[in-house]
This record gives sequence, C-alpha cells and structure tokens, in this order.
Amino acid sequence: MKHLKAINNKAKKMLQAIDEDKVDEVMAMSAVVGCTATTDPGWEVDAFGGVSSLCQPMESDLYGCADPCWWPAQLPDIMNTHPNWNKDAINSDQDWRNLNTIFPDDK
Amino acid sequence: MLNKNKIVVAAGLSLLTSLFTVSTWADTSQKALVKGHEYLAVTNYPDNLHLIDVATDKVYKTCNMPGQFGPGTVSISPDKKRAYVLGNGFRQVYGFDLDTCKLEFNAVFAQAANEDARAMFSFAVSADGKELYSVNNAVHKSIDHYTIQQPRLQVFSTDGGVNAKPIRSFPAPRQVYIMQAADDGSLYMAGPDIYKVNVQDGSYTVAIPSRNWKRENYGQPDVLYFWPHQQVNRDFSILYTAPKFTDASQNLETAEYKYGFFNVNLATGETETKDFGDVVEIYFTGQRSPKEPNLMYGLLNRLTKYDIEKQELLQAQELDHTYYNLHFSTNGDKIYLVGTLNDISIHDAQTLEKTGSISLPGGDMAITTAQVFIR
Repeated sequence: MKHLKAINNKAKKMLQAIDEDKVDEVMAMSAVVGCTATTDPGWEVDAFGGVSSLCQPMESDLYGCADPCWWPAQLPDIMNTHPNWNKDAINSDQDWRNLNTIFPDDK
Repeated sequence: MLNKNKIVVAAGLSLLTSLFTVSTWADTSQKALVKGHEYLAVTNYPDNLHLIDVATDKVYKTCNMPGQFGPGTVSISPDKKRAYVLGNGFRQVYGFDLDTCKLEFNAVFAQAANEDARAMFSFAVSADGKELYSVNNAVHKSIDHYTIQQPRLQVFSTDGGVNAKPIRSFPAPRQVYIMQAADDGSLYMAGPDIYKVNVQDGSYTVAIPSRNWKRENYGQPDVLYFWPHQQVNRDFSILYTAPKFTDASQNLETAEYKYGFFNVNLATGETETKDFGDVVEIYFTGQRSPKEPNLMYGLLNRLTKYDIEKQELLQAQELDHTYYNLHFSTNGDKIYLVGTLNDISIHDAQTLEKTGSISLPGGDMAITTAQVFIR
C-alpha cells in the first residue's frame, strides 16, 4: 500500500479519513440518489441468492431501474447521458429488440 | 364485376380505417371529471397522464405531458382539481388541471444556468393545497468539474404559475426520497431517518429513526421505497426489512429476517414501527387495508396479505408478471396493481383473485406512483 499514491480528490479524501480516524463515518448508501453505484442485488441474483425474487420478466424492471439510474454500468444512463435510449421501445416487453448497445461518440 | 367488388371492398376498408383512427386518437383532454366519481390517476410512457374511472375500470381521459417521461410520480391536490407530476427526468414538477389538462403549474428545481437539480421522488403538496415541497439534489456544472451542493428543501406556492420559483429554500438532509405533508402543516420526509420538518424555517427532528434506530435485538433496517401513496386512512408508510437476532451474540447468520413498516398518520401525527411477518420474498410496496387496519398487503412478484398482529402470511396470489405498487379503491374492496409494464391488474381485496385488467394506451408505467381519489 505504501507505493500507492492518491492522485485525485476522492482518493486524497480517503487518506484524510484514515488519518483522522473517521473511516467508520463512511456508510453504504441505502437509497437511490440517481446515477450512483450501489451494491444492492437485484439483477443477477436476488437477496436470497436465488432468482425467484427478481422482477419477472426482466423487462418489467428495465425502465423502473434505468429511469432513476439505478443500474449503473448495466444499462445506458437514461437520466442524463442517453435520455433517448428507449424512444423506440416504450413497451419494453414487446419492443426490447429496439434497445441498442451504445458506443462513445468518437468511435 | 371484378372492378366493382374491388371498389366496394376498398371503400369498406377505408371506412373501417377511418373509424378505427377516430376512436384511437380521440382527444379526451377536455373531458371534465364528475363530482362524486372515483378515479385512479396514473402515468406511463411516452407522455401520458391517464384518469381511470374506478366504477368502470376504463380509461376516462388522457392528458399529455411535456418533457422526458420519468418518473411520473403523481400527487393529487387536496381539492382533487389538480394532478402534480414529477417529470422531465426528475427535474421538475408539473401541475395539470384535471378537467382541462391545462398545465397550470411548473416548478423547475435548478435555479441557475449552470445548475442541475433532481428530486429523487421527493415532492409533496401541503394539506391546504397552497404549497408544494421538494427536496432536490443540486450540482454546479463548471467547465471542467462538477461541485455537489447541499440538498435543499424548496417551497413553492401552488399559485406560482408555469414559471414557479421557490418562495423559501432551506438546507435538507442527504438521501431524502419520499415525503408527505401532514394536516398540522408539517412535512414528513424519509431519508436515513424519517424527519418531521417545519416548512417555515426548515428545522427538523427525527420522527421515526430508521438507519439510526436503537431497537433491542434488531440489526439495522434496509429500506427501498419510492412510491408515496396518498392513502385513504392518511397513513404515510414505508416498508423495511431487518434482522432480528435470536441471542446475545447478535449473529446475522442466525438472525430471523422480518418485514415491517414505518408509519406516520398525517392526521394525528401518531408514529409506528411494527413488524408484520417473516421475509420470505421481496415486496416493493405495501399498504394496510383502508377498512381492516390489521391487514397488510405486500406486492412485487405476488400479491400477499398478512395478519399484522399474528405476523402471519394469510394469502398469496400469483401474478402474470411483476408489479411495483398497489393502490386500494377508496372503499378498500378493490386493489390496483400498477407500475412496470403498461397493464394494470385489478384484484379483489378479500380473495386477492384477479378480477380484471386495464391495458393503457402508450408504453410502460415503469416506476410511477398512481393515486386513487374521489372528486
């Protein structure tokens, strides 16, 4: 660890929290706050380690999660960056084939 | 003869097409609500606010909303004349006259050109209908970096028109989601704890501890609740799950996981924290029956009914697909299952059996909150 160097503000704040013995004040989020990484299970596996409590079919959960940016890195960010991602698939269970992979603009 | 038959067929098809076109695209926006009638207000993609006639379970009228759909959370004004909808990607609240669909109110949360602000399901109308509240999370966008701002409670006058500006603004706690206004003029907002807020000066106290509860033999609760139902019995309730330890070792591996609810009665201010059953499946929403308060109904992949005092699962109904939120008819006899796709499932509250379905024009309801009301 001594060879790692903090080079952005967040990393520096982490070191500061350690120095000030405030690491315990960092808490996992327990509410949706939009476009924030969460560790709440709900896609690959449910809270019980199975699949029966996942939304059925998966499409029923699609926009309920994408609209508030609940699935970072799983779906395009409808809230900010890709608001038109689902414009041709407003009925997700029928039109999911119109949902496309997104690519950076410069590719 | 052949040509005449072709012409007759073509004319018939043309007539059928025009009739179908007229009935599909009929404009109901000016259809006034009827006093004494009960309605379910619900939103869906791409831009719809539908009013369902509860007596017939048919779409009575549809208003079109501006902006990017989402989340579409609805709140009905106390006089039942206006629907407020959180929309345009959580950026603002619209207020529509329910008789004419006219946009009468519009409050954008961002207050500067370089500011973005979103409310994570956080808005509510005062009990007297004169003010609208929102907690929203702001960020300043500079050329090369963003700066997170303190969340703020904004107070709008509902007479503020289509360019409404806050008349008061106060710092708010972080991670606030749903909220409801009480009859005594205070505002209850859910965040790490459930707070009671003085909307005149922004001060707040903890009405119900959640993350910071000190409940003997219980671990910290987990909450996920984005549907602010305006309930018939004036409850403002949120479900939780929590581990209940079986011995002094407080071992999560041997704990029993309980479902419960936090509740504030908006008429009396009475608060409750109460378990109602074991965690056997996940529910996104739950409500107590308007006519039998000892019965709790839970919903996600099944519609279920619990005896709260006995903490016993009484009944469970299989569903065609997942629904997020349930809404009782005012008399408590009927339950509407809303959210996710574009069909509303109707169930008998006694038997939980499906009694009907409403296919909404348009697309998915996603994470909307509907409301039932009597004009």
